[in-house]
Amino acid sequence: MEDGNKKMLAYQFKDNLIYKLHPLTSMIFVGVVFVLALIFSHPAFLLGLLIPVGVVLGAAGNLMQGRNYIKFSLIMVLTIVLINVLFSRAGTTIIYRGSEIPLIGALEISLEAILYGLGMGLRLLVIISVFCFYTYTVNPDKALRLCGRLGGKSVLAITLSLRLFPLMIKDFQRISEIQRCRGVKLSTGSLWQRAKNTLPIISIILLSSLERSLQLAESMQARGYGSGPRSSYDRDLWRPRDYIIIALSIIALLLGIWSALKGWSAYRYYPILEEISGLDCVLASFIAIILLLPAILNWGGKKWPL
Amino acid sequence: MAAIKIQDLSYYYPETIKPALNRINLEIPEGQLLIIIGDSGSGKSTLLRVISGLIPAFYNGKLLGRVFLDGEDTVQMSRQEMVQKVGIVFQNPESQLVMNNVEQEIVFGLENLGLPNNLMKRRLMEMSTSLGLSEDLSQGVSQLSGGQKQKVALAGVMAMQPRILLLDEPTSQLDPVAAEEILNIIRRLNEDNGITVVMIEQRLERCCHLADRILLMENGLIAADINTGGRGRMWLQRAPLTYLPPLPNLFARAGFKELPLTVKQGRQMLNSLMADSSRASKPVPDTSIILGPAKGQELIDIQNLWFSYPDKEEVIKNVNLLIREGDFIALLGENGAGKTTLLKNINGLLKPSRGQIKLAGKDTRDLAIEEIAASVAYLSQDPNDYLFMPSVKEEILFTLRNFNIDNDSYAEEILKRFKLEAYRQCNPRDLSTGERQRVALASVLLGKTKVLLLDEPTRGLDYGLKQELGELLQEVNRQGTAVVMVTHDVDFAAEYAQDICLMFQGEIIERGNKYEVLQHSTYYTPQLGKLFNNIVDNVITMDRGVRVLSELAGFNEPEMASVL
Repeated sequence: MEDGNKKMLAYQFKDNLIYKLHPLTSMIFVGVVFVLALIFSHPAFLLGLLIPVGVVLGAAGNLMQGRNYIKFSLIMVLTIVLINVLFSRAGTTIIYRGSEIPLIGALEISLEAILYGLGMGLRLLVIISVFCFYTYTVNPDKALRLCGRLGGKSVLAITLSLRLFPLMIKDFQRISEIQRCRGVKLSTGSLWQRAKNTLPIISIILLSSLERSLQLAESMQARGYGSGPRSSYDRDLWRPRDYIIIALSIIALLLGIWSALKGWSAYRYYPILEEISGLDCVLASFIAIILLLPAILNWGGKKWPL
Repeated sequence: MAAIKIQDLSYYYPETIKPALNRINLEIPEGQLLIIIGDSGSGKSTLLRVISGLIPAFYNGKLLGRVFLDGEDTVQMSRQEMVQKVGIVFQNPESQLVMNNVEQEIVFGLENLGLPNNLMKRRLMEMSTSLGLSEDLSQGVSQLSGGQKQKVALAGVMAMQPRILLLDEPTSQLDPVAAEEILNIIRRLNEDNGITVVMIEQRLERCCHLADRILLMENGLIAADINTGGRGRMWLQRAPLTYLPPLPNLFARAGFKELPLTVKQGRQMLNSLMADSSRASKPVPDTSIILGPAKGQELIDIQNLWFSYPDKEEVIKNVNLLIREGDFIALLGENGAGKTTLLKNINGLLKPSRGQIKLAGKDTRDLAIEEIAASVAYLSQDPNDYLFMPSVKEEILFTLRNFNIDNDSYAEEILKRFKLEAYRQCNPRDLSTGERQRVALASVLLGKTKVLLLDEPTRGLDYGLKQELGELLQEVNRQGTAVVMVTHDVDFAAEYAQDICLMFQGEIIERGNKYEVLQHSTYYTPQLGKLFNNIVDNVITMDRGVRVLSELAGFNEPEMASVL
């Protein structure tokens, strides 16, 4: 199968500091940004999250891959702004007043509504980009292994299905080809006909998968699965930078929670925009700088290699 | 003390009355390399599973008798002890790997034993270094080749440091190069580490030089226990003809008592025969066989075919090939030479990137796969990919209905032609490998099939089944269907095909009659070709080899006939 080995995963290892972080470190970083994005509503604070995530993504060498995400999210942001503008009547600074529209009523576009939409869009952007970062830089196997310490059997079940899934896709391709050569019509005929003709393929896959899972179970039995308490293999190394990044991420989280409790990271759009104070900006940039750390370390590592 | 001692062992699979193993007594000393041969259903795999403890733990059923490992009764051993004493590697590399990545797969068993992290690292390091897997540790399992997967499976088992290694046809799904590598590793484990090895293997030519002892099983019994005694070859005469590799088989059929194991030994025997018989006339090369039967009409005409998968390098480069009625062509070449891709271009699964393929004058680009399938049949490697109906007959009727032929008597005719009448009502998936392949073949061949394409048809077949398949294909060929098969099995190609096509890096390097192509090559030649090379011309098939050899030795024909 020369064409069968298409990469199934978005994760592709690249040789830089961010890829070499311990998976737990990356996951904590992602978690902190995600939680902060949910509790912050102040645009300065949200920007203070978006900028570091974007820079870190770039430092990891994934800006090109991130582009598709950005395209998609900009469309989402635009939609949010549009819907918010059309339906929201809470703003006071009206910048356009239009004619009557059915269902919605008189068209009133307020500055507050636009900015509120943009603010929500900003939050969405942060969340999408941090997920993009997770998808491209955290090895899914390793992430699963980390969860395995907590889960045990159910995680093994997930691992097994992850292992079998690509096999089944290959099976499906191969068996479809074979059955087409046997006269099974899969590309012509009505939808119902084609669906009916897929049945033989599905049943072959089911039969083969059943046989395969029996063999897998036998192989697991032969290697002592379930014969006693399992231990867990861990080869990911902890480096000083992992500790630093985890520590500072937690500081950022605490700082964020503290600002939220104090009400600094909240922002009022309606009925009229709240003033943005200097203190807010300073605090937001402080959090941003903390979260920029992985990128800074990566840059520093290249500049002054060990 | 014997590493394995089996006493009065009988075993019945659940809900059966016929024993799969019938009062077996066997002692295997430490460090022995034992090879088990036998037909499918003879109890080989069952015996391995009993030794490994999978029977009765995994299969239930009724087990009588006792098994001792290093003097200890297996009934008294815990599973943890058991898996650290015996490791087992199975036939299919795909269905014994559990984890997604090589490193995790190797440590899987160690985790099950609850070993500490540093010890696991140590074992991983040793296994990956000794099997040459260090570079692949972070690889995903799905990206590995079959041979690499089998190596990973072996590493995962050996990491648990068993003293006994059981292998159930470990190379049957691999190409010759990968098989050689696996067998080399097994030899090293046996010779350098003193591991006791019990291996089921069909193709003795690959491994009989490694064996200390060969066990033949029939119907759950040990039919022959042959000590190969210091790896000599005296044992060969005692082995049944059907299990002998081509070279000793040839000499046995020609009536020789002393049988060679290697080409070198065979040539020595042949040269001394030639010297003796110089007074007699040398065998005259038979030129009539070179010409072959007259060729019929053109069926498939491949003109300047180029093919590449999207965004990849070209796989097929400027291939021209004419397939006529009555052709029997074997496509030989290493992995990745483009053989399978060429087949898929012919049957329309892939469309040419440049150039064209004409099927009875029509460009295949303009034909749907189903239209091509009506005259071009395709049999892939794994018969399981075909079979899903509850009975053999329905399996055949299914194909016929796909082509709008709903004719019960015609289905019966096919059953008869492929000697499947007895299995008419059986579930095809319950049949043995060889029978399943016959069902799959019967279910792709229609009356109007002009060309039959086969991809690695001999994979996993023993000598007897290979012969059966070869004769069946020749029969199909004689009835007018052109046969084109991709194979790694040069001996099979030499024996049954007429023409050979050599493919290399996407090009057809040579096409010609098998005698022209195979006779004087060094790698792509059967064992018989290597034997007779530059001594007697044009001997690459068994029949002719036997004739020439007995002529040289001065045995007369009737005597030979009795051996055959």
